[in-house]
Amino acid sequence: MVDGITKSFGGVRALRAVNLEVRAGEVHALLGENGAGKSTLIKILSGVHAFDSGAIEIAGVPVAFDSPAKSREAGIAVVYQDLSLVESLSVGDNLMLGREPRTRFGFVRKRELMAQAGAFLAQLGIPLDTRATVGSLPFAYRQMTEIAKALMGEVRLLILDEPTSSLTSDEVRILFNAIGKVTRRGVGVIYVTHRLNEVFEISQRVTVLRDGANVGTFVTAETDMKRLVNAIVGTERLRSTPARAERRAARSLDSPPVLSLSSVSNDRLRAVDLSVLRGEIHGLAGLIGSGRTEILETIFGLRPVESGTIEIDGKRWLLKSPADAIGRGIALVPEDRHVQGLVLDHSIERNVTLSRLPYFSRWGWMQQRAANRRAETAIGKLAVKAQGASSLVRTLSGGNQQKVVFGKWNDPRPLVLMLDEPTVGVDVGAREEIYGVIRHAVSDGTGVLVVSSDLVELIELCDRISVIVSGRVARTLVRGEIDDAEELHHLLQMFQASSQDAFDTGVELPA
Amino acid sequence: MTMTDLIASNVVAAPTPDRRRKLLQKLLRGERPYMLYIAFVILLVVFSLSSPWFLSVENFLNIGRQTTLVSIIAVGMTFVIVARQIDLSVASTLALSGMAAALAMSHINNSWIVGAVAGLGTGALVGLLNGLLTTQLSIPSFLVTLGTLSMARGLAMMVTNTKPVIITNETYFAIFGEGTFLGMPVPIAWTLAAMIAGILLLHYNVFGRRIYAVGGNPTAALYSGVNTKWVTTSAFVLTGVLAGLAALVLSARSHAARPDVVQGMELDVIAAVILGGCSLFGGRGYIMGTLFGSLIIGTLNNGLVLLGVSSPMQLVIKGAIIVAAVAFTKR
Repeated sequence: MVDGITKSFGGVRALRAVNLEVRAGEVHALLGENGAGKSTLIKILSGVHAFDSGAIEIAGVPVAFDSPAKSREAGIAVVYQDLSLVESLSVGDNLMLGREPRTRFGFVRKRELMAQAGAFLAQLGIPLDTRATVGSLPFAYRQMTEIAKALMGEVRLLILDEPTSSLTSDEVRILFNAIGKVTRRGVGVIYVTHRLNEVFEISQRVTVLRDGANVGTFVTAETDMKRLVNAIVGTERLRSTPARAERRAARSLDSPPVLSLSSVSNDRLRAVDLSVLRGEIHGLAGLIGSGRTEILETIFGLRPVESGTIEIDGKRWLLKSPADAIGRGIALVPEDRHVQGLVLDHSIERNVTLSRLPYFSRWGWMQQRAANRRAETAIGKLAVKAQGASSLVRTLSGGNQQKVVFGKWNDPRPLVLMLDEPTVGVDVGAREEIYGVIRHAVSDGTGVLVVSSDLVELIELCDRISVIVSGRVARTLVRGEIDDAEELHHLLQMFQASSQDAFDTGVELPA
Repeated sequence: MTMTDLIASNVVAAPTPDRRRKLLQKLLRGERPYMLYIAFVILLVVFSLSSPWFLSVENFLNIGRQTTLVSIIAVGMTFVIVARQIDLSVASTLALSGMAAALAMSHINNSWIVGAVAGLGTGALVGLLNGLLTTQLSIPSFLVTLGTLSMARGLAMMVTNTKPVIITNETYFAIFGEGTFLGMPVPIAWTLAAMIAGILLLHYNVFGRRIYAVGGNPTAALYSGVNTKWVTTSAFVLTGVLAGLAALVLSARSHAARPDVVQGMELDVIAAVILGGCSLFGGRGYIMGTLFGSLIIGTLNNGLVLLGVSSPMQLVIKGAIIVAAVAFTKR
């Protein structure tokens, strides 16, 4: 269906001659790391982006979309991760939105609307009450409403973008049943996911993308997890890491802990045991929704600790707010720098000093000169490319913005520096610089706790890596126990799969 | 660009040619608050040319006196709006605080100190209520203060069954209404005092930094260790206290507190702040700009009266000029 698609953004080629063929009634999984080109491909298919060269055919007829409406007309329906439903309306109203049956005077025929919606759901075999308010439904049912809505009208291809990332295992089951019913009607499905076990469960074929190009298309039944992981991560990148790893392999693990959690539980965490040593980089690996970010948020006082204890530098603390946590020497570089990390319309100086205001004031009065000097120092030390300390953060590139977020915590060094996806949206050069900043902090004795979806990054940086599955630490690995991203990826998938089994059958997790 | 930088470039350092060029660029680009100063000057010139009475010390003192109430409260409103909130209750708070001050004096020793404490304290309490309802119950401040607008006005009317309360303390009149301080009428002295305190607090104090951060991005402020609820509540309390101060000035000038005074004044206050360059979306604003915003509104009122424009027409012109000014200076 898709043949030799190329797409460039600016000078960057996001897709290079990508091929993808989806058969009627087939579930075709689409895999790849973040930035491999999956999203771009989907956006091209849904008419959000145009492609530069290549061809798209539907049932043998070449098509080109310049708008989402055109793609829709051609029979392509997309269900995005962020749902597009009106929560205050009922399932039926949502399905019929914009095509409500009306009387001559423009009033909606409510009964007819519900009947049509109900008939449609019955035909799909989706067990939903048309009168239920969408906002009151569990997530899986909302997602099914979304799928049902996408299938209204003539649909040949349904695209699901990580539909299970926030579902429980029961809900996944419900969703898979619905997908099965859809394919039986002859609709082709493109299924984007990070969870490999789902690929084996639901798909007939798999296509893997890496760096915007095809790595290969496999028949699911004839491949295994190891081969898929290999295809996703890529062998060249794997080989480059162990060399670096050995250089730093000798770090001892007998420093005192600066942070330790014992059986910390709350609504998202289950008995988390974790420690970060002085001068250690400790990684948290896990899939999206596994509770990695929630661990950082709990330590930072953003989520309450329901049971268990947090000790910082050997003392027990009950942290009720970020201000508390910062006062005890904790720092967080959050996941979304635009929303959580920076005041975009303010200057670099204002942003850098915000978290350390007591250091730039006497009796509450700002010492502007000291603040400016600090900002200039931070810009110099972190090599932020900006005109000066009074430049607005909004005008900086992603990498430089991230450096400013680091600058908030650079001096004085925190006891514990927590990083949530520190290099997302950061170009390669700035990424290496950020690694340098992290290592520099560690050499001064800071303990670092880092969450990352980039496993190569974790392996390269970390002394220890804890695997997080369903809000608990499934296993903690010491450097040397595991030395390539492929193995780690494999382990994650295995834990994820076995934790789902554990939910279903009550089996204990592998230790 | 902030007041801090502005003052730094104008006062602290001698303007080098480079700085001067930068200033010129800013003027040409129409960046706030420079456009505001220019607009003010244009207004002065227009009225001076069209009315022989406009350009006199007596008239300027007049304008100063007439804008006192709006200017004083607008200083507090600047904090609230920079913190991404709004306070609609200020006029009612003024009325209630005035009643509290007058009643306290008439019941306790006729002491001006008791009156002042009661007036400012009542303002602070209303501000605290606004702040706590907004931050603790997460109700938008627009709705909270719409409610307290009504409640405070109702209370002010209830306490005396809508009758005014006469004040007889001469010291009170002298301090807040009719005396002079360093040659200035005291209402103008109080306005200047509120302004200077506002500038120091917003532009030179850690509290001001936190106000800007909370308004610029509340989540990032929280993640940087700012107690956002406390900071927001404080802004409301400050505004309440300044509404209380305005109440003291008004009641000392009229020798009485009336429960039905300054209805609708909150709109003038908000207009002054927005005209002065504050963003309604928070994170941006200057006390100096607010003062000029208030002066522009006061000058408009004064000048239109001198020109003999009918009062309904004054309203229309004032409204149109406010909208035009904001549209023009908007980024």
